[in-house]
Amino acid sequence: MPAVLVEQVSFRYSSGFALHSIDLEIPQQAFLALIGPNGSGKTTLLRLMSGLLRPESGNIRLNGKVVSDFEPRELARQMAVISSEQFFEFPFSVAQIVAMGRFPHLGRFGKMSAQDWQIVEEALRMTQIQDLSKRPISELSSGERQRVLIARAIAQKPSILMLDEPNAHLDIGHEIEIFRLLQFLNQQHAITVVVVLHNLAAAAAFCKSVALLYQGRLLKYGKPEQVITTEIIRGAYGADVSVHPSPTGGFPQISYDR
Amino acid sequence: MSTSLRRYSLLWLGLLTLASAAVALFVGPVRPATSTIIWEIRLPRVLLGVLVGSGLAGAGAVFQGALRNPLADPFILGTSSAAATGVMIAGLLTISHYSALYFMSLGFALLSIAVVYRIARIDGKTPIQTIVLAGVIVSLFFNAAVYLFFSIFYRESFTVLFYLLGTLTEGNRTLIAISGSIICACFGICWSFSRELDALTQGEETAFHLGIGVETVKKILFVAASAMVAAAVSVAGMIGFIGLIVPHMMRMIVGADHRVLIPASAFGGALFLVLADALARTIAAPLEIPVGALTALIGSPYFVYLLRRTQKIGEF
Repeated sequence: MPAVLVEQVSFRYSSGFALHSIDLEIPQQAFLALIGPNGSGKTTLLRLMSGLLRPESGNIRLNGKVVSDFEPRELARQMAVISSEQFFEFPFSVAQIVAMGRFPHLGRFGKMSAQDWQIVEEALRMTQIQDLSKRPISELSSGERQRVLIARAIAQKPSILMLDEPNAHLDIGHEIEIFRLLQFLNQQHAITVVVVLHNLAAAAAFCKSVALLYQGRLLKYGKPEQVITTEIIRGAYGADVSVHPSPTGGFPQISYDR
Repeated sequence: MSTSLRRYSLLWLGLLTLASAAVALFVGPVRPATSTIIWEIRLPRVLLGVLVGSGLAGAGAVFQGALRNPLADPFILGTSSAAATGVMIAGLLTISHYSALYFMSLGFALLSIAVVYRIARIDGKTPIQTIVLAGVIVSLFFNAAVYLFFSIFYRESFTVLFYLLGTLTEGNRTLIAISGSIICACFGICWSFSRELDALTQGEETAFHLGIGVETVKKILFVAASAMVAAAVSVAGMIGFIGLIVPHMMRMIVGADHRVLIPASAFGGALFLVLADALARTIAAPLEIPVGALTALIGSPYFVYLLRRTQKIGEF
């Protein structure tokens, strides 16, 4: 059973922008990058798959079940989402934020059990932020905050993790750290990862597959070397770039033409 | 973890509230007070202060969390003046039955929060400054309505003017008991939604992804908080800024976790209003000043300070 199955999905905003009959099958334990120029519909597709938006026609299934049939709590136990909407003005500690990942597993009057706290500790350890656990989130840097949000997602114990540009505002060092962490979750914990990306070099280097959206349609879906080619990228982005095979790995590398 | 420390801070706040209530019993224009004055006049007044203060501060904490806005407060959002408009109209229609009075007051409070929310919501988002602006507009409107009614129908009544400015002189015990029960019940509802409030402070999309049914939860919280405000306003008039100052100070002491913050705000609100009322009774003795005027005098500069601070953070 695929982790996510998008069947003939169309959607239209009141502003006029639309997605047109998208078909996409994301297998279990995939590490997929959604790429495409600004306004191509990447984030909209992510919001549809994560249940924030409902498709106008067509179906989206998560582990076999239609997304809109899930109760919010049930959905949150299977899928963690780190959206680009992030607010840090309330002085929660890092541990409190990560503990929010347990909410979908707790009853209304249920307390955090020792096991819940253990899961929180483990998430803090995996993201290497144990030392920050008592600090208020408002005092952390962007890189540290991104780790906290990933730790919260880990504490949710999802089978699918979706992220909208987790590398925005990060320098290249922190960006690589985040992708290594996602790779680790993908490989060691068998979590399916879907990530919206602008940075094609990162998509090519770290993701196992790439889906390219263009003007609300799925233009190309396959391995990085099948999707990220000079011809396809030039066509979709209208950018003067060249793609070469990597001298070390096998993944494509992108360079700007002057 | 730090939970035990937080529990102690709740205990301390509770003890402080008791102490301030005890002090307030022995403070007043009549000295030395007879036991009749202490038990028959001051005690109901202190109890009223505890109820109204904790109701307003609790409602403030809920509005701030649910709207993800540290500047939200029943007074600034116009909920208080709308509830007062309801009370004035009930008075005009000579509806003296308590439940009718509460329903008028609650109805207007709910109307105002719905209007504020509708004005402020743009493309599914409610930016912080727009909510405050929408609140100011709505509260100006209902304030005007209140004073219009006052100038036409109640111009002779000093009691009504005092009520509008916010005072704890209401002596009717049935009225106090009813509003007390409403405040306690709604407080319990809000407290049981602490986790949902925690999640909502992270943004509505994030709250949804944490398994919260956002729209339903927000409606429940708005209704419960507005009911607390309406109950407080029906007995004590428009006492401002407690819902703004107290939750904010408590957040600095106990943190943002609503399971602790909501009860802490209730204690803090009770403490603040009881002491402010003791001051209002004695500062110009034998004259008494409306306690609402006093809290506004303290609250306005604090609001300016908060506004400047949130602008400096620059996240909005």
